[in-house]
Parts: sequence; structure tokens; C-alpha cells
Amino acid sequence: MDIQEVAAVKRFEYKVPGGKLLRAKLEIENGRIMSLQLSGDFFMEPETDLEELESKLTGFKAEPAAHVEATVVSFFTSHKTRMTGASPKDFAYVINQAIKA
Amino acid sequence: MPQRFRFLDLKVNDAYTNMAVDEAITKARGEGKVPDTLRFYMWKPSAVTLGYFQSVEDEVNLEALNRFGFNLNRRISGGGAVLNSETGEITYSVILKEDDPRVSTDPIESYHLLCQGIIDALNVLGIKADFKPINDIVVVGKKISGNAQIRRYGAVLHHGTLLVDFDAKQMFGALKISKEKLSDKMIQQAEERITTIRRLLGRQIGFPEVRDALEKGYRKALNAELVKSELTPYEQELVKQFRERYASRAWIYRR
Repeated sequence: MDIQEVAAVKRFEYKVPGGKLLRAKLEIENGRIMSLQLSGDFFMEPETDLEELESKLTGFKAEPAAHVEATVVSFFTSHKTRMTGASPKDFAYVINQAIKA
Repeated sequence: MPQRFRFLDLKVNDAYTNMAVDEAITKARGEGKVPDTLRFYMWKPSAVTLGYFQSVEDEVNLEALNRFGFNLNRRISGGGAVLNSETGEITYSVILKEDDPRVSTDPIESYHLLCQGIIDALNVLGIKADFKPINDIVVVGKKISGNAQIRRYGAVLHHGTLLVDFDAKQMFGALKISKEKLSDKMIQQAEERITTIRRLLGRQIGFPEVRDALEKGYRKALNAELVKSELTPYEQELVKQFRERYASRAWIYRR
């Protein structure tokens, strides 16, 4: 099997200072996010917002990082997502770091 | 004047029933069908319980979990993975209406208020404990209790675990401890972050004595009159429905 053809899963893990642990696992193909899973020990309500964000970013251009960040932040702001132990910017950060990994 | 609480006294169940009971009470409370409730419970068999947003792959050593015969379980609330040991801890839940003036909209304040029962219970046992934001209770910096809250169905569910005893081999065999998390706390050994009632008291305190202290602690912290009762038939019906979901692979392995 030619492993070049299989998109490697990229990961990044980040402990928010004074907050919780966030993880991003994703696959990139042709400059686009093909799969994304966010996880960690944070609190978020409504909890379905996380899945919605993952779907929204699937198929999304992996660059530029500023665009990914703006999308993540505006998603959480417009959904009025309540979170404890992490901020919208922290989620954007782990995603962008995983993309670069 | 004391506030009346329905009190569901210590019962032992498996992980999926325990989670289903918490959710059933939360739904019934939100619908105004049952009063504010305090519940104590234990687990058999032991289970590793993941927070809602955690992934199995990152948190759990499945080989060790199977070797120990533990269940794998996922909460509806966020937060971190815990080992709900059948011989090492008591678990509790407090369920209030979401618009209860005692529960602040500030999450940290809500955690502090609903953790106070545990702090007072430890005080009854002669242990001085402190609330450590976001959701922990510590004794001289070491964690003895972890807590999680969720607002759902118009109610607030606060549940948590109080460590009575601790088997490092089981806990750190079954749970994967993140290097990132450890480095942040500048501690090399995960074991150094945790303490238990038995370790602090230096004796093999029994569960009935811990349970009595918990009852006293919550009565004081919530200024509560505890009225012993059982689940209503409506809640028992919900437990049956919800248990199926909690025990399903689709739920447990959703992340």
C-alpha cells in the first residue's frame, strides 16, 4: 500500500492556562479539511454546537489560519454557545495548530 | 427557613442506570414533576466515565479496562474522565430548577455553591477542603473531588465524585493521563495530584460514616431539610428509556 495516498491524521493538544484541555484531530486533502474531531474536558452548552462546528469546517479551506479563526469565533458568537474552561479563540488555536502539525 | 429537598439515599447500580437516573431526575425536575433532589449513589461494577466531549481513544486504555472488568461509560455533562470505583468513592447529584435563584448564571459561582456540601462534609470528618475553580475540590492542593454541571430540560444537574480510597494501579492503568495536562501543573507523577479520605484520616473509614458526613454537609450547605423518598413511576419509566442510550456503543464511542 502506498501510504502517500492516505491522508495522515494530524493532531494537536492544548491545555488552556487556568482552563481545560482541548484536542483537535483532522485530515487535510488538497488544502481542505476532510475530517475534524474536537474533544477534551471542557464544558459547552448546547453540546450539539461542537458537532455542528465540526460539520461546518469539514470541506473547509485549511488556510489562511486567520480565516479559520474568524469562522470558528463567529460560529460560537452567533450561536451564543456557553463554554467553561475554553474560549472560541482556544478552539480556533487548536484547529490551526493541528493544520500546521 | 430550611429548603425542602427530596433525598434519594445511597444505592448501588451499574454505570448506565446511574447516568439514566440522573438524567431522568433532571427531566422530571425541569418539567416541575418532582422537587429539588439530592441523590447519593455508588457503582457496581466500577466504570471509567468520560466527559461528554472526550474521545475514548485519547482517554481510555481499553485493554486494562477489560482486564479489570470495568464498564466504559459517558456522561451528558462535560469535564474529565474519572474512575467510578465500586470500592473507592461515593457519587452524588443535586438537581434544581434552572431558574432557581441559588444557581447563579456565572458557572464558577454555581460550581462553588453546589460543591459546598462536599466541603462541609469533609469538614465534618475533620478535613479542611477548598473549592478550586473550575470544578474541583482540593485538600492542600490535591484533588479529592471532581464535579460537572449541565443545564438541560429547564433544570441544572450537578454531579460529582468524592474519593474515599484509591487504587493507583487501577486508575492510571485504565485512564490515559495527558502529558500536556501534567506539564501545566508542573507535577511529574499523576498520583501526587490526588488524595482520598482514607489517606487523609489515616484509617479505614467505612462508607456509612462518609455517607452520614455527606448528608450533614449538604444539609448545612444548602440549608436543606432532607425528605427521604424514591424515584417516581414517571422517572422510573424514563430511566428505562435513557439506560438503553447510555449502554449503547453509539453513545459510548461517539467520540
